[in-house]
Amino acid sequence: MSNTALRRSAAIGLAFGAGAVHLAVVGVILMLHQRAIIVGSLTLGQAALLLIAAGAGLMAARSPNVGEGLLSGMLAGAACGLPIAALTMLISLVPLRLIFIALSPALFDMLSFGQGLAAGMAILISSGAIAGLVGAGLRLRPPTLRRAVVPGIVAVLVFGVFQELIQLMLQRYEGIVGEIRDFIYSWEGLTPEGATACFAVAAFWGAGWGFLRQALDARELMPGPKHQRMLRAGLALVALALLPAVAGSYIGQVLMLVGLYILMGMGLNLEVGLAGLLDLGFVAFFAVGAYATALLTADAPHALAHLSYWAAMPVAVLLAIVVGVLFGLPVLGVRGDYLAVATLGLGEIVRVIVMSDFAAPLLGGAQGILQIPKPSLGAVTLGTPVALFYLTLFCSGVAALVAWRLENSRLGRAWMALRDDEDVAQALGINLIRCKLLAYGLGAAFAGLAGSIFATMLSSVYPSSFQLLISANVLALIIIGGMGSLPGVVIGSLALIGLPELLREFGEYRYLFYGAVLIVMMRLRPEGLWPSEVRRRELHAGDETLALAAGGNQLPAVQR
Amino acid sequence: MTKRFCRGLTGLLATALLTISVAVAEQTLGPVTDEIGVIRIPKGAPIQIGGSWVLSGPDTASGLDQKRAVEIAIKQLGGKLLDHPLKLNAEDDLCNAEGGQTVGTKLASNPQTVIVLGSACSSAATPEAPILWQAGIVDICTSCTAPSLTAPNRKPEYAGFARTVYSDIEQGKADATYAREEIKAKSVVTIHDGSPYAQQLQQVMADNFKAMGGAVLSQEAIAPTDVDMHPLLTRIASEKPDLIYFPVFTAAGAQILRQAKETPGLEHTGLLGGGALFSADFIEAAGPAVIGFLVAYPDLSPEAMGKGYPDFVEEYKKAYGEAPISGNHGNAYDAAILATKAIEQVAKSDAAGNLYIGKKALRDTVFATKFDGISGPIACDPYGECGEFHPSVLEYTSADPKTFAIGKNPKKIWPK
Amino acid sequence: MSLLAAARLPRFPAASRIDAVGIALWGLRIAVVLVVVIGTIGSLIKARYTGAQWFDLVMFGLTIGSIYAQIALGYTMVYGVLRMINFAHGEIVMSGAFAGYFVATAFDHSGLLTQSPLPTMAAVVAVAVLTSTSIALLAERIAYRPFRRSGGLAPLICAFGVSFFLQQTFRGMFGTAVRSYPDPLWQRAAFHIFGYTVPHLDVLVVGLALLFMLALYLIVQRTRMGTAMRAVAEDAEAAALMGIDINKIVVFTFALGGAMAGIAGVFYSMVYKQVYFFMGFTPGLKAFGAAVLGGIGSIPGAMLGGFFLGMVESVGPSLFLDGLGIPAPYQLRDLIAFTLLIMVLIFRPQGIFGERMAKRRA
Repeated sequence: MSNTALRRSAAIGLAFGAGAVHLAVVGVILMLHQRAIIVGSLTLGQAALLLIAAGAGLMAARSPNVGEGLLSGMLAGAACGLPIAALTMLISLVPLRLIFIALSPALFDMLSFGQGLAAGMAILISSGAIAGLVGAGLRLRPPTLRRAVVPGIVAVLVFGVFQELIQLMLQRYEGIVGEIRDFIYSWEGLTPEGATACFAVAAFWGAGWGFLRQALDARELMPGPKHQRMLRAGLALVALALLPAVAGSYIGQVLMLVGLYILMGMGLNLEVGLAGLLDLGFVAFFAVGAYATALLTADAPHALAHLSYWAAMPVAVLLAIVVGVLFGLPVLGVRGDYLAVATLGLGEIVRVIVMSDFAAPLLGGAQGILQIPKPSLGAVTLGTPVALFYLTLFCSGVAALVAWRLENSRLGRAWMALRDDEDVAQALGINLIRCKLLAYGLGAAFAGLAGSIFATMLSSVYPSSFQLLISANVLALIIIGGMGSLPGVVIGSLALIGLPELLREFGEYRYLFYGAVLIVMMRLRPEGLWPSEVRRRELHAGDETLALAAGGNQLPAVQR
Repeated sequence: MTKRFCRGLTGLLATALLTISVAVAEQTLGPVTDEIGVIRIPKGAPIQIGGSWVLSGPDTASGLDQKRAVEIAIKQLGGKLLDHPLKLNAEDDLCNAEGGQTVGTKLASNPQTVIVLGSACSSAATPEAPILWQAGIVDICTSCTAPSLTAPNRKPEYAGFARTVYSDIEQGKADATYAREEIKAKSVVTIHDGSPYAQQLQQVMADNFKAMGGAVLSQEAIAPTDVDMHPLLTRIASEKPDLIYFPVFTAAGAQILRQAKETPGLEHTGLLGGGALFSADFIEAAGPAVIGFLVAYPDLSPEAMGKGYPDFVEEYKKAYGEAPISGNHGNAYDAAILATKAIEQVAKSDAAGNLYIGKKALRDTVFATKFDGISGPIACDPYGECGEFHPSVLEYTSADPKTFAIGKNPKKIWPK
Repeated sequence: MSLLAAARLPRFPAASRIDAVGIALWGLRIAVVLVVVIGTIGSLIKARYTGAQWFDLVMFGLTIGSIYAQIALGYTMVYGVLRMINFAHGEIVMSGAFAGYFVATAFDHSGLLTQSPLPTMAAVVAVAVLTSTSIALLAERIAYRPFRRSGGLAPLICAFGVSFFLQQTFRGMFGTAVRSYPDPLWQRAAFHIFGYTVPHLDVLVVGLALLFMLALYLIVQRTRMGTAMRAVAEDAEAAALMGIDINKIVVFTFALGGAMAGIAGVFYSMVYKQVYFFMGFTPGLKAFGAAVLGGIGSIPGAMLGGFFLGMVESVGPSLFLDGLGIPAPYQLRDLIAFTLLIMVLIFRPQGIFGERMAKRRA
């Protein structure tokens, strides 16, 4: 094997290993270790380390020669294990615990597999090598194997990690479903039999589906890639919409939160994705919607009126539009990064005022406003999370329709012109002021709606709910999902809001992964997970005189 | 395009079809008939007790302490109750409203949740308790002290809420009493940090202080992340109060303490902190300024606590390698005992060994159970106040965080 | 990023339009001026503070201002060279603070901190600078360099990502508890001149800060690398054509900024005596405001902006918020900093010293 290939594999392995060391020092590995995937055999922490090594192997195996590829994969995996082994040695020799609180004896036990230093290090490096081999093998072997093994591993992981959730969902059913549940799960996680069963079923399904596709392809019965995507998306959407009715109120709650962020994402999408106005003070509109609803419906001394929710919601949305316009007025002349900071300042100002004693007589101060009633349709109160989820779904549907129509209207095109170059747009006769104010106002309307539902969901509003973090979250989910695209907002929301909610026990490190994901996404796929058609067309046309593409302006992405 | 229409349509249909609400209605299962519902625990399945505490972030010590106390209670029962294993499903509610909402929903959606212990924070308990009670689940709170939760005019959705911890009405009154009668302060300035707990507590204290004839010169506020207290303290110095009362959290409290010592004009002003400053973390954050600092906290000395308290502390040390890290472990332990006693009394089994628990019966039994807990006698009034409150004021004696020990550092100086 | 095209098109002179927007902006100006003036008059009438107390506030404002100035320098240099706001700069300050904290605590335990303050302080600052500079360079290499070509939001989002990542990494490594910076006696002492109290610490921090900033200024003005840096800041393409290695200059800039951030971190923890993972966020934001205030891209501007912001923060709430009769005015003090920032961004984006950079496409 050539020298460069050797060095490359080693470098990749060491880099991945350094990443694993970072995770260990930060405490992620130990935390993951507390969670067993397969009871008695495999914990999430060990699985994470194995996956990292496998990833190293996957990346290193590039050679067309299978033997060489496998060898480089193995080498990369072993190189990945080396830094961790070094860390283990360091922990046992030097009392690093005094400085780095995560390097505890428990971590040492885990890393050495309870076998002591030397044996532990050997196990680490050898298991790294094996994992690297598997990773390389996956990349080099025929697709059939890959289609079988990967779904199998994914299924085991999913069923293991989400075991609590799945058990919760299945709890409601006795009978055959109950039998299955008892078979695959013990109270802590998957049983070994359950794990093998999951793996087998998923592998079977994956391989089978692969064969089916091949057969259909041969007969030219498969729809084109674009239609495939739409089909998959449509199915997924319907499944998600029906899930809470089937799976219970916890899923409903989580999906409702996702829905609220989708609403906000669509609003910010208008401002950032279409009009190119980087607004970091978005949470202010959310707060306005929530507080307006609270003040108009609550059964509390602060309330200004006691309207029904349905009367208060339009008022909240209108108020949000007004505030949006007022927001936009001072910052009309500010551009780019400065706009980001200016709007951030405005958002913070709203937050400080809402929390202050100064505004307490009106807004309730630190105690917030409590006793907000739930909406009611005639005799039925929409009190459960499932009911409110469907309300959110409905509102999102309406909002999506509005957003989609706006995007394809004259106003939408004016916004896009604005985003690309303000001066040229003005020269073309677009009224910048009207355009920008409309962008702020309409974006704020979506956020106000979301805030309104939020208030009634919690039955209370506390000022601490309106931190800068929410604006950052919404911006992140648009970026990751794909700016300017509505399906992108849904995907981004599911990934960045839904997933962390379900994985609450790992919540301590949520923002660590956020940060890492943001950086990685920007490097690998800056146009987002589901970029908009317009964006793809724009990039494809290779129009380089358009300066600012608010999103990626890499060379056009290959059609998938 | 079709996608979006489909979505809108789905939403419409679903909303039209929607008449579901979590049904709590009279139910008969096995030998038990109950107005709200009956939980059936199959033979050998665990009795699931939900837990909701703050288990991450800067206030972790408080939540973790309580969770451990409950775990000790379960261990002392042998991990079993009525031949069924006891399982604690502890969740992290992050000490805020959204967290409380999510945890409440999660626990309520599990049909096997018998009872819930927690939360650690009033802002989490406020949305959580109604959600749980809507599913018929009683919530015994272990360190949420907001007065509104057990006020006589509380809403019916809080009917299932009880707590073994005191109400801030008592704490505020006690603090005012100490200020007026013990150190004879004539004037006070209060500081809160924008959290509902601090704001409410200082308000109660100020009202009581005024009622006792004292003067409240001003009620100030800061943000919890503020580091620069000089302007605020200079202003307070110009008002020349006898006492500054600040029931805020660790970081801000430490800054106020340190900077007050450096502010000219405040040399003779007393400083009194609240319960959130009762931890080893605070000693660490405040440094040498902490010596001689007073905090108001419920009495945890052996004379005031129940008889079983010292044994509990020993157990705790054995199990976790350190002394209790915060102050509400006693309340949590007693809540666990209260819950298990009530379950024992109410549960009925059938011939096959399955257990049946009536929800309303459980609630009534919880509210009717009396016993001597380790934090004092436990007896619930009709609105859910089950604990007894004994005020005390403690003084820190050393700036070494490792010497944090209840009763020694800080040591009790009032009541004598 | 079109450096040559868009920004040169003629714009309609704004002054000739009397419209809703113009009125709104004038209204904003008047409102702010009124608040400041009425508040100040109110405070002076109340005459709550003595001269000594005002002096205290000013002194403290200078101290915190010097720290802001140092942090702002990092922002302004990176922006000048890369046209990018390094949102993670606050976290770099925090990393320097943590490094300094560990060294200082070690010295404190062994008693050396009290016995020989000078060498130990030097060691503390050295370690802090080393740490912060390495982290800054790492961030540049991994997260910023790939985006130098592309404009748009990618660098900004990456900066956010780095900020989150660093914060949470430090949180995972060192925990959420607030650490206490050692407080030896020589720090607590104070001079007493003419009845005014001047703490040693304040003098130390301000003096050293001025020294370091002077050093930085000399580096930028007098050395070859500094001149190259200024060239790149003015026109990157022309500088490249003149044979300047842009990569090296960027690394140099980040190193300088990172070093200043590390020093600022040590000073910050000396003054406020608290070190924890979130401590860099708000000062970072405010220091960015200071940089904008002084004129982003201008080094004297950043220094001046920092001092100005520090003074406004320290004296402001007592000066005008207090006089307006607002209950609990100190809760609103962040308001002052943010309002100042927004006013600057709206009405004078080039700041006090800067060129017209804000109107160009970022």
